[in-house]
Amino acid sequence: MNLLPGEEQNEIIAQSASFLAGQMPITRLRELLKSGDLVDQGVWKASSELGWFSLGISEEAGGVGATLADEALLFREIGRSLAPGPHLSTTLGARVAVAAGQSDLADAIMEGRTQVGMGVLEPGAELRDDRLVGSLRLIDAKGAPQVLVATDQGAALIATSDLGKIVEERCIDDATHLARADGVDAPLTAWLDAAEDAIALRGLVLSAAQLVGIAEACRDLGSDHAKNRVQFDRPIGVHQAIKHPCADMAIRSEAAFCQTLMAAVLVDEGRADAAMQANSARIVAAEAAEKNAATTVQILGGMGFTFEADAHLYVKRTQVLCRVISSTDDQLKVLIAS
Amino acid sequence: MNMDFTADELQFREEARTWLYENAPREKRPLAGPPMREYDLGWQKTMFEAGWAGINWPSEYGGRGSTVTESLIWFEEYARAGLAPMDARFVGESHAGPTLMARASEEQKQFHLPKILEGEVVWCQGFSEPDAGSDLASLRTRGEIDGDELVVTGQKIWTSYADVADWQELLVRTDPDVPKHKGISWAICDMHSPGIDVRPIVTIDGHAEFAEVFYNEVRIPLENVVGDMNDGWKVAMSTLAFERGTAFTAYQMQLASTVGKLIEIARVREGPDGRALIQDEEIARALGRARADVTSLQAMTYMGVSRNEQTGSPGAEGSMLKLHWSDLAKKVSHIALDMVGNDALSRSSEKGGDWVEEFLFSFSHSIGGGTSEIQRNIIAERLLGLPR
Repeated sequence: MNLLPGEEQNEIIAQSASFLAGQMPITRLRELLKSGDLVDQGVWKASSELGWFSLGISEEAGGVGATLADEALLFREIGRSLAPGPHLSTTLGARVAVAAGQSDLADAIMEGRTQVGMGVLEPGAELRDDRLVGSLRLIDAKGAPQVLVATDQGAALIATSDLGKIVEERCIDDATHLARADGVDAPLTAWLDAAEDAIALRGLVLSAAQLVGIAEACRDLGSDHAKNRVQFDRPIGVHQAIKHPCADMAIRSEAAFCQTLMAAVLVDEGRADAAMQANSARIVAAEAAEKNAATTVQILGGMGFTFEADAHLYVKRTQVLCRVISSTDDQLKVLIAS
Repeated sequence: MNMDFTADELQFREEARTWLYENAPREKRPLAGPPMREYDLGWQKTMFEAGWAGINWPSEYGGRGSTVTESLIWFEEYARAGLAPMDARFVGESHAGPTLMARASEEQKQFHLPKILEGEVVWCQGFSEPDAGSDLASLRTRGEIDGDELVVTGQKIWTSYADVADWQELLVRTDPDVPKHKGISWAICDMHSPGIDVRPIVTIDGHAEFAEVFYNEVRIPLENVVGDMNDGWKVAMSTLAFERGTAFTAYQMQLASTVGKLIEIARVREGPDGRALIQDEEIARALGRARADVTSLQAMTYMGVSRNEQTGSPGAEGSMLKLHWSDLAKKVSHIALDMVGNDALSRSSEKGGDWVEEFLFSFSHSIGGGTSEIQRNIIAERLLGLPR
C-alpha cells in the first residue's frame, strides 16, 4: 500500500503544472474572456500532443496507458489553473469511442482535432433504448461535434447536430460555455455499459481532482494574502480569526487530495467499494473547493468581492464542476446505500 | 501508487485478526478503579505472552518491531475486534515508553520497559497544570535538589488513570531563573511516594476520567531524571518524533464503524412519522456526508503511513489528521442524538443511552491532546508559513 505519487507521477505533475503556468496563466484566461473564444485552439492542440486526452487510453488503442491516478494528478493541475475547455468530457469521450470501436473518432479526440462537450441531464431526462430523451444542459459543447452523457448505467456519445435547437445561456462561470437543449430525442453515437467500464465513476474521480486543485489554489491564495496584507501595522495572518480558517483550508485540501487518490486507485482496479470511494471523493472535494473559495473571498476582503481579484473565478468554476456527472444528492444516496 | 498489501502483510493481517478474535476479552471493560486496572493489565499480559505486545516497539526492547504498515494493520484489526483505542495502558505503551527508549539511561530502560511490556505497571502523565495548559512550558511545579534527591512541590491536573498508576512521567521546574523552556526536567515519579495526593475530577459525563495530583515535598531519586537536568522540554518533545501516526488508526476505524452502524440503524428504525429514519432527508444527507468524511479520514491515514514508510516521519500533514478526526467524531455523535428522538434525553434508555454517553464524551475530542485552537495555529504556522 502506497498513496504517495511515484517518480513518474511527480513528472506528470511537474510537466503539466509548468505547461499550464506557461500557456494558461490566469492573465491569459482573462484575455480569452474578453475575446469571447474560451478555448485557445493552439493550447488545446499542444495539450493533445502532451498526451492529455489519451493518457488513460491503452497503448494498443493509441493511448499512453497510464492509470486513473495519473489522470487525477493531471486533472488536479488543470483544476488549479482554471484552464478553460471540455477537458473532462473529452478525456472520458475518448474512452467511450475506443470501447465502442470507433477508432476514427477516438483518434480525432486524442489528437486534439475533436472536442467532446459535457451533457448534464435535467430532471426527467434519460438514456433509453439507444436514445437520449428529455432536456439537458451543455457544458463547453460550443464547437464540439459530440457530447458525453455518463450515468450509473453507462456512458453515451451523442452528435451535437442531433440535439435539435441549442439555446446559449450565460454561465455563472464566465470561463465556461453553457447552453441548453430541450425536447431532445436523439440517437446515441456510442454506448459503453458501466459494467464494462464505469465512466461515471472515473468522471467523479477526475472532477474531484479538479476540485482538489481549486481547493489548493484557494488555500494558497488566501494564505498568501494573510501573510502579505498589513493592517494595524501587522500582517492580518497573525490573527487567529484569519489563521484558523487558513488551517481549515489546508485540512480540507489534504483530506480531499488523499481521498481522490485512494478512489482513483480503487476505481481503476474495479474494487467492490469503487462507487463508495468515488462518490466520497467528489463529496469531500466539492466541499473543500466550495468552502476554500468562500474563505478566500472573505480573507481578501473588499478585493475578494471584485472582478479584478481572482478569488471569484474559483467560486464560479467550483459551481460548474460540482454539477457534472451526477448531483450531490445522487452522490449522498450512493453513500448511504452500502 | 497502489492499495495492495504484500503477501506477508496479508498473512500478518490474517494472523492478527484470528488471534484478536480468539483472545480479545469478551467481558465488558470496567470503567474505573482497580477492576479497570486489572482488566487492562490482564489484556496487556495476554498480548505479551502471545508476542503481540508493543506492536511498534523495536525488537531490541522486546517489542514486535513491526513495520509501519504492519502496525497500521494491527490497529485496524484491533478496532475491528471492538477493543477500546484508549485505556490505562496508553501512556506507558505510547508515550512514556517511547520517551524512555529515546532518552533514558540503560539502567532506566532495563528497569521500566519490560514492566510496561509485560503488563505489570500503569503509567500516567504529569504535564498540565492549572496555569500551564496550552502554554505547557510555563509550568511551575518545583523540583529542588536536596542531596541525591529531587524534592517536588506543586500541582498537576487532567491526569488520566492517576488513581491506578504506579509511575508518572513528570515535568518539573528545576531552574526558575532561565527562559521557561530551559529550566524544566523530566522525571520518573513513583506514584506510591509519600506526599502525593490524588483527587479525582468528575467530568462532563459524570465519570472520574482523570484527577488532580498534589505534590507536597515528594522525594524523587535524582537517578530518576531522564536526560540531563533542565533538558526536560526536549525529552518531552522527543516522543513526538516517535509518534508514527498509526496508533491513531484505531480511532479512525472505530469512527468508520460507528458511521456504518448509524446507517444500519437508520435503515431499520422508524422515525416519529413512521417512516424509516433514512427517509428523513436531513438525516440521510448527514449520514452520507459522514460516510464520505470518514472515508477521507482513512485515506489521510494511509497517506500518513505511506509518507512514513518513505521518509521515516508522517510529516506535518499528520497533524491535520487529529483535527479532522475530532471535528468529525463530534459531528457523528450529534447525528446519533438527532436520530434517537426523545431517547436522547435518557441515559438509561436502550435506544439512547450509549449515544448520550458518546455525545457527552465527544466534547473532549477537541480539547485533549492539544486543543483544536493550538492545532490550527501549528498547521497555519508550520505548514502554511503564516506569521506567529
